[in-house]
Amino acid sequence: MTTRLERTVTYGILALFSVIALTPVIGILSTAFDSQDSLDTGFSLPEGGLHWSNFADAWNRGHFGTYLGNSVLVTAAVVAATTVLAVLAAYAFGVMRFPGSTVLFYLFVIGLTLPQEALVVPLYFDLRYAELTDTYWALILPQTAQSLAFGVFWMRTYFRGSARSVIEAARIDGANTWTTLWRVLVPMGRPAISTMVVITFMWTWNEFLMALVMVSDEAHRTVPLGLAFFQGQHSSDAALLAAASVLIALPVVVVYVALQRRFIEGMLGGAVKE
Amino acid sequence: MKNPLSAAAYRRRAPGEPRAIGYLYILPALVLYAAFLLYPFGQSVWLSFVHWDGLTVATPAGFDNYRDLFTDPALRAPFAHALLLLVFYSALPVAIGLLLAALMSRARVRGMTFFRTVLFLPQVLALIVVGVAWRSILAPDGLLNDTLHAVGLGSLARPWLGDYDWALPAVGIVGTWVGTGLCMVLFLAGAQRIPRELYEAARMDGAGPVREFFSVTLPGLRPQIAVALTLTIVAGLRNFDLIYITTSGGPGNSTSVPAYEVYHRAFETNQVGSAAAVGVALTVLIFVLTVTVSRLVEGRRS
Amino acid sequence: MGFPSTGSRRVRRRAVPILLTAGLALLATACVPGTDGSQAYGPGNGPAVAVPDPAKAGKVTLTVWDQEIRGGTNGELQQLNKEFERKYPNVKIKRVARSFNDLKTTLKLALSGNNPPDVVQANQGYPDMVSFVQAGLLAPLDNYAGVYAWNTRYPNTLLNLNRVSADGTDFGTGRLYGISQTGEYIGVYYNKDVLAKAGVKPPKTWGEFTASLSRLKDRGKLPIQFGNLDKYPAIHTFGVLQDQLAAAEVRDTVLGRGTGFDTTATKDAAATLADWTKRGYLPKGSNGLGYDDAAKKFSSGDGGYLLTGTWLLADLKKAMGDKLGLMTPPPASAGGAPVTTGGQGLAWSITSRSRHPEVAAAYLDFITNKHAADVMTEHGVLPAVPGAAAERVDPDTVDGQMIAGWKRLSAADGLVPYLDYSSPTFFDTITAALQGVISGKTSPEKFAATLQQDYGAFMKKQRERHAATPAPAEPK
Repeated sequence: MTTRLERTVTYGILALFSVIALTPVIGILSTAFDSQDSLDTGFSLPEGGLHWSNFADAWNRGHFGTYLGNSVLVTAAVVAATTVLAVLAAYAFGVMRFPGSTVLFYLFVIGLTLPQEALVVPLYFDLRYAELTDTYWALILPQTAQSLAFGVFWMRTYFRGSARSVIEAARIDGANTWTTLWRVLVPMGRPAISTMVVITFMWTWNEFLMALVMVSDEAHRTVPLGLAFFQGQHSSDAALLAAASVLIALPVVVVYVALQRRFIEGMLGGAVKE
Repeated sequence: MKNPLSAAAYRRRAPGEPRAIGYLYILPALVLYAAFLLYPFGQSVWLSFVHWDGLTVATPAGFDNYRDLFTDPALRAPFAHALLLLVFYSALPVAIGLLLAALMSRARVRGMTFFRTVLFLPQVLALIVVGVAWRSILAPDGLLNDTLHAVGLGSLARPWLGDYDWALPAVGIVGTWVGTGLCMVLFLAGAQRIPRELYEAARMDGAGPVREFFSVTLPGLRPQIAVALTLTIVAGLRNFDLIYITTSGGPGNSTSVPAYEVYHRAFETNQVGSAAAVGVALTVLIFVLTVTVSRLVEGRRS
Repeated sequence: MGFPSTGSRRVRRRAVPILLTAGLALLATACVPGTDGSQAYGPGNGPAVAVPDPAKAGKVTLTVWDQEIRGGTNGELQQLNKEFERKYPNVKIKRVARSFNDLKTTLKLALSGNNPPDVVQANQGYPDMVSFVQAGLLAPLDNYAGVYAWNTRYPNTLLNLNRVSADGTDFGTGRLYGISQTGEYIGVYYNKDVLAKAGVKPPKTWGEFTASLSRLKDRGKLPIQFGNLDKYPAIHTFGVLQDQLAAAEVRDTVLGRGTGFDTTATKDAAATLADWTKRGYLPKGSNGLGYDDAAKKFSSGDGGYLLTGTWLLADLKKAMGDKLGLMTPPPASAGGAPVTTGGQGLAWSITSRSRHPEVAAAYLDFITNKHAADVMTEHGVLPAVPGAAAERVDPDTVDGQMIAGWKRLSAADGLVPYLDYSSPTFFDTITAALQGVISGKTSPEKFAATLQQDYGAFMKKQRERHAATPAPAEPK
């Protein structure tokens, strides 16, 4: 069906874009293992073997242990809260009919297009007033609210598409809405839920502006913020900076590689049922 | 089960439960969402109508802050930059994503998982990490200039992030790099759902790859294109992180964008009202663009 | 889609007015805490009348924000912090260090937040210190200055740069809001090897200096290493050029009583900066090169000169050893009085809501006293008031050159304050405009006009303010 030429072109273009996608990543990796005295920021095999000590140096000097802990805590809280709240709300939007449901749903959808920049200024003054800046709450609460917009929208699509026959069957078996949700629909909806989890995880982990504004003490700093300040301090230490970047990106990349299949499956599944 | 009657009954009423229970399911999410998203947005709108330095008493400003958006070049420029950046953040990734998806939907590719993983990788990296990596690539003797010198194009080498004409496209390319993977994965998912028969029919009609793309793949991918455009437009207009880490709006103000201007004005130069107005205007811009996209791309479907 | 499309459209049409109503309802209730001015803090006043004794303060954690991240000042400060903690075991110092730019971007947020640090380094002038004082975020230190005799420790010219008028509108006069640890000036670092290879002797006059640039260039060397991606370094380079032409005039302008920026000196200095870039005396594309990267390149032998502050001496010396030399910008005629941009390091200030202002004051005194000056000298840092250790430094070393330059500048009154002090928005204005000059985008005339526009508008506002309230008497 496909000609040899087509096949070659396909692989060629795929390979080209893969190289483009990987180049900065490999550049960072090679710099991270390079000697700290090297002036070279590009591609080069590290001189004199791999300098693993860069990572220890960056870790100690940049306090990344604390930052990673903070990031894990904030991300876990946001993901957990978003998942539970979005599933509950989307369930109601997806399978129940009640006055005002459409309007309320559109209220959530608006959140998809509301940029943080339009919220962060008053949020800062509100949270400062509530004495919540420089706490985890100042990161968790706004980010959960923002993730809910996507979560509710996304999960509603799943509940909308979930087979009515299943719901009817559960009802006939005497299950109420609560048990139907948790016993039947949630287990069935694992692909959709994991997509939501991974996306919320990514957004929260990468969040910079909120952290920059809400957190000024070091104890609550998350990794992106830590890296930004680390870059300010060590902007000419390419090796240290690269090592720090690797340290920060590694957890996400590991999770990504482990879950990527499920992630894409989830996206596919969600798209089918749209 | 699937007779019209039961479907109609279902639509009217949730199965076996009082209708009001729906509100209970929604309540927790709605409370949090209203308190930390809707309410602050209302406050932003309110703030955009006052002059406030963040400390002393705020004074009413009427439409001053909004008028400045049109009359003050320091505020007009960021919006112009943002629109130009959308070409890089949105149009290019969608175009490249379509191309890749079209290629892949035609030929069965071995090692698909590998390519997909690699191409999507930029999406999962924190933008701050991306910024750090690209800052070194775009540095005067970074990888890009080294490569240009190596292939004899040394005359094209320049300090990308410090060049008035090139800093904005340079930051834009970073956005392209980030967004392409997302578009590709979306389109690929979509392309695999296009019925094979359509392709076979097109081929039977003697369609080449190009015509096949325009008559089968592209129409089949419409919903995904809408999603991709929406996501990349929203991401492209909120590119605070990249600007902060790579150029801080420089050189001069040639890469200042609304997202950066909000932070700069609110928390550095004591112009909270103006910052809020920029934020609200940014919201309106995003809203208009996404509605336009859904009208243009999705609207034709029905 | 589960919905028949007509239904969804109908609902959507109905949803719009409901959404609008909901939005308006939100708006009506919206009010942002603080817009009534309740979050502004009155200017506190330290009650100190006797020397505070931190030992009696109980368990104290002192949070300190600084930007001393470079080798010399970082080392000196670490040592002094350790010594302070040893002297007062009940005090723990929590130090948060970040780069100048990062500190500048985040300090205002931190100061107005719920848990402001106790001690911060604030940049002098209108953009930072004056606006903080206006907001009541910093505590006046006049009482402590009396108790610790800071008034006599520092010359008035330096102290005045840390003063803000009581009503928070004027810079350079009024109450004391900080003291500086280090002295600084923009000097001309040179690489002895590179100069020797090009047959250039360290210049004695400005004319010799500019002549040596073209000579270095002809010999294939980069004359002046320079990186301006971080935006602020050009203030220093430009300042040196402008000071050569009209030092006294510029100083008056920065302090709000001069002729302004639309002057021939401004235009000529900008023209020189542009010309140096065009001739390749400054590296091509300096707007894209980081400040630290430029320093690293200079120390590895790329560049004959580096025009920057004395704060970089320790780092450069570590990398270059004996190859490094430092001079004040050469005067017009040999042996003449030198002039350059400089003054003192960022001010160390106490926040108005610090719970331990007395411990903070003791800390400020500790890091600026005679012993501290000697520690700084040992670390290759220039103390604002050089002490005994500075006398013992070999004058032929680069440290000796730095100290001698400082003394000559102080004696000749040759220090011109940093230009970014001039107005609340001047840092942004001048850094952006200078990047334009360097790239050739902004003509010297346009540059001078841009600066003057910002400065003139601010001066007008200041005059109106003064007309409304009689100016406070200047303390002598």
